[in-house]
Amino acid sequence: MFQGLAFEPFDLPAEAELIREEVREFLARELDPGTLPNSDFNAGESAEFSRKLGAQGWIGMTWPKEYGGLGKSFLERYVVTEELLAAGAPVGCHWIADRQTGPLMLKFGTEEQKQRFLPKIISGDYFFSIGMSEPDSGSDLASIRTSATKTDGGWLLNGSKIWTSYAHTNHYMVTLVRTEPPSENRHAGMSQLVVDLSDKNVTVTGIRNLSGEEDFNQVFFDDVFIPDDMLVGTPGNGWEQVMSELGYERSGPERFLSAFRVIVEFTREIERSPSDEQLVLLGRLASHLITLRRMSISVAAMLGAGKLPLTEAALIKDLGNSYERMVPEIIRLAVPESCSQRFVDTLNECILHAPSFTLRGGTREVLKGVIARGLGLR
Amino acid sequence: MNEQQQLISETLRRLLTDLCTPDIVDKSESGIFAENLWRALTETGLTAAGLGLKVGGSGGDIEDSLLVIREAARFAAPVPLAEHFIAGLLLSEQGQSIGPGPVTIATGKFFISDDLSLSGTANNVAFARWSSEVVLVAQAADGLKLCRVPTSGFDIIQKNSMAGEPRDALNVNTKVVEESVFSVDPKTHERIKLMGAALRALMMSGALESVLEMTVKYSTERSQFGKPISKFQAIQQQMAILAGEVAASQMASHAVVDSFPNLSELDIAIGKARIGEAVSICTDIAHQVHGAMGYTLEHSLNHRTRRLWGWREEYGNEREWQEIVGRHFAAQGADKLWGAMTAL
Repeated sequence: MFQGLAFEPFDLPAEAELIREEVREFLARELDPGTLPNSDFNAGESAEFSRKLGAQGWIGMTWPKEYGGLGKSFLERYVVTEELLAAGAPVGCHWIADRQTGPLMLKFGTEEQKQRFLPKIISGDYFFSIGMSEPDSGSDLASIRTSATKTDGGWLLNGSKIWTSYAHTNHYMVTLVRTEPPSENRHAGMSQLVVDLSDKNVTVTGIRNLSGEEDFNQVFFDDVFIPDDMLVGTPGNGWEQVMSELGYERSGPERFLSAFRVIVEFTREIERSPSDEQLVLLGRLASHLITLRRMSISVAAMLGAGKLPLTEAALIKDLGNSYERMVPEIIRLAVPESCSQRFVDTLNECILHAPSFTLRGGTREVLKGVIARGLGLR
Repeated sequence: MNEQQQLISETLRRLLTDLCTPDIVDKSESGIFAENLWRALTETGLTAAGLGLKVGGSGGDIEDSLLVIREAARFAAPVPLAEHFIAGLLLSEQGQSIGPGPVTIATGKFFISDDLSLSGTANNVAFARWSSEVVLVAQAADGLKLCRVPTSGFDIIQKNSMAGEPRDALNVNTKVVEESVFSVDPKTHERIKLMGAALRALMMSGALESVLEMTVKYSTERSQFGKPISKFQAIQQQMAILAGEVAASQMASHAVVDSFPNLSELDIAIGKARIGEAVSICTDIAHQVHGAMGYTLEHSLNHRTRRLWGWREEYGNEREWQEIVGRHFAAQGADKLWGAMTAL
């Protein structure tokens, strides 16, 4: 039975606002004003930038101090992430490790794994990819076939993952694999393995996206030996573990800020003498963005309180992605003919990346299915 | 929701379930005021929940009244709770009690002379024909005056909104008494507009929640091709969009509630614009899912959707408020845009 949606208003605490100022000062110092900010969080990477961010304590900042974290609140982390995204900072290297790998290990990992990986993630030395999709398994994740069979002291991994962002530059990939043959319960028998991407039996092949960039890959496993201590959590529990990551993966500001730089450059184009129509458009986009941000903060507060608001997270991603798709499409029709090259470059980059907004992290169709389930329709 | 609001919400839902049936809403549209409903709301203190005890209110917070207004909209309650509340707030600032009412508010062009002759006209006055008094702002030689005037002093031309809600035209040319005339702030017109927009935004978000609930329920009950239509992906995908818009409206309405005491223009503008936009999308989907059944006058979906179509136009539609929001952010400039958004 449908019980209604739970988006409670939430104000960011004062300490979160203090961090905001620190991040802004850091970004003003570190980002080269001469380069164009990324209009998509997944579009730029810089190991150097990530290490500097790590030195500030802003990777894994919510994690316990014993692993090198600052023990900050989830809402303070929220502020750091949204500031990075709004500035178009190159966050691609550490993003997944900070958002997903760390929380996964804290929840399911062994003490040894936490000690081994978390401090290095925090310092910006270890970058992680996510290995979920396969050539024949996209939205239907439970149909994956990449498998690991038990061998002495570990597992032998065979198969392939695809659309793996930054597998060519990252160090590790948390990989969802079958450790038991498929059974009636499609979600049973999966496990998560940490794969060392520099292993000689791992082959990473770049795939060009339609904008010509090579940031995602196909990754092949040919009898890759994975030691027992590189399995995260419990063998066979992979599906549940992956599902628990989705609240983090889907509700953050990267789900509605991808096109933000387009709005910034649009504002730059019109700020001196805006027409009424342009003001109406800017106001419309702003009222959507501000509302989405409030929803995202509300879910961040829920996650911080240990809840798992999966329907709400799916809802933010779906609503936010639709918004990100809409932004460049309506702005392109509202600018003066004589707009700057800076604006055109930002807009074009966004348009070329836009098809990925509603695919990555769950297609909009899958998300709507999740929401429909939350509504009690299926 | 605090304990007090929980109590208000439960009392109100019970009362509305009994006294705001679809039949009562229909009767109101055909010209019979929902008098029992109004009396019950007054007797339980709900029409003045957020007004102070000294001015005859129930002594609660402003939020309590906002809750009542929003919840009542879920039921399409055919009573002027919003107008009565605005009038009550304005009168309370003058130390005046509003009384059982209903009292409505007229926004139009009114003039008052030194000898207290009031003249002028207003359109779209909610429920004027069934109100005991009208509160209005008139221009005097020395500034603005808030006047409370018995409805009997007006010439009322009855008109209805597309939802069948009274939106009367008023003409007045009468003498008023000195005790009912108060000097007010030059910004009073703007304040009334902001209050009206905020309350319509809240009413829309309340009605939208009810539209979502009705549509979920209908889709699980209606069978075609041998199964409930909710089992079809085509329906599920539409319902997910509906839910997203309702959730966004809910979030925007929280911000409107928070900003009401200070009447922050930007927050109210964002709320009215965002929720108004949700109305177009949600009513489209809700009607599509309800099929021809929802297109009938008999089905109570239209009690909500017709009101939503009316309310999104009142006190400024999306375009008007979007422009205000846009002007605010354009004035900040590109490099301060993000800072201005996070400062909200």
